[in-house]
Amino acid sequence: MNLHVTHISFMKTVPCILLTLAVAAGSLCAHAEQPTTQVRSSTDRILALLGDAALKADDRKSERRQLVRRELDRRIDWATIARSSLGHHWSKLTPSQRTEFTDLFSRLLEQTYVSNFETYYRDLDKIEYLGEKIVEEYASVKVRITTKDALIHPVEYRLQQSGQDWRVYDVLIEGVSLVKNYRDQFDEILAKSSYEKLATDIRAKLTEASP
Amino acid sequence: MKKAHLEFIVGLFLAIGIGCLAWLSVKLARKEFFANDGYEVQAAFSNGSGLCAGTPVLIAGVQVGRVRSVGLEDYEAKVRMVIRRGVVLQKDTIAAIKTKGLIGEKYIELTPGAADNCIKPGGTIRETQPCMDLEALIGKYIQGSLSKPDAKPESAH
Repeated sequence: MNLHVTHISFMKTVPCILLTLAVAAGSLCAHAEQPTTQVRSSTDRILALLGDAALKADDRKSERRQLVRRELDRRIDWATIARSSLGHHWSKLTPSQRTEFTDLFSRLLEQTYVSNFETYYRDLDKIEYLGEKIVEEYASVKVRITTKDALIHPVEYRLQQSGQDWRVYDVLIEGVSLVKNYRDQFDEILAKSSYEKLATDIRAKLTEASP
Repeated sequence: MKKAHLEFIVGLFLAIGIGCLAWLSVKLARKEFFANDGYEVQAAFSNGSGLCAGTPVLIAGVQVGRVRSVGLEDYEAKVRMVIRRGVVLQKDTIAAIKTKGLIGEKYIELTPGAADNCIKPGGTIRETQPCMDLEALIGKYIQGSLSKPDAKPESAH
């Protein structure tokens, strides 16, 4: 399946993607903070969860996953990522299909990336913050992730201001946009078939990977 | 009388020849005399190598505009492009630099988004994806595999 192949290659290229998404995870005290500050504190919170020895026990793994997901929910704008990934096809969906797609897609992203967080955490050596750029209510934060294999992965977060918070709506890894990656795939699928087929494919993928 | 007729014919040929040369020059240089056939938008790329004035801008493989100029601003490639009138770009449209084939010429691909607001004339395409540096990626892969350590430590950060 095209969707499947692209997933694998994308993940091979960017073994640290989960940690990069973690960078975007929530912060509790974000009052008028700059995007980089929020990103940094969010990263530290996620890394602390992953490094917590008490949460590493087998019977607490699902609890840890939920905690990480909660942090991600605070920082990542799943709805915007889902809408933007569907591109111009979004306008053809009914309100109920839009809600359904947002739910399915956020679960797909969670399954694809978040479930492998631990592996990426083990490979991580350091995260450097290279700078930020703010234009009106949008910002980008550039990060350099170095793995223990001495591989360097440039990552760029795209964020939008929402009240006091900056929320991630796209991540570029090695210059490749996550939203564009999925937008191209969905466009290809929807050009040949219907939304129902796409939803069925995502559901099958979710079922396939669930224990 | 006959001589005047001949001179007219020669003059006409000369005028047609000059006209053809002018047309060819404009086409080859991809210059536009009239900018009224579209509206300008701009985009900043972290790597804009291969782009120049005249580079085509495509949506779904169909040309909808051209690059007007490429300049350096804040250490990024600032690209100004003219988009055909009537082509609506949503605010979350993504502009990506692509290559025709593996080593073909560069072009800008626009992927329409889903946002309710549209980019106005003179506006900016915020979402950009730079040119993929295949050489750097291959180099990194080779370098990475050579410098791979034998043992992995347990802790991180």
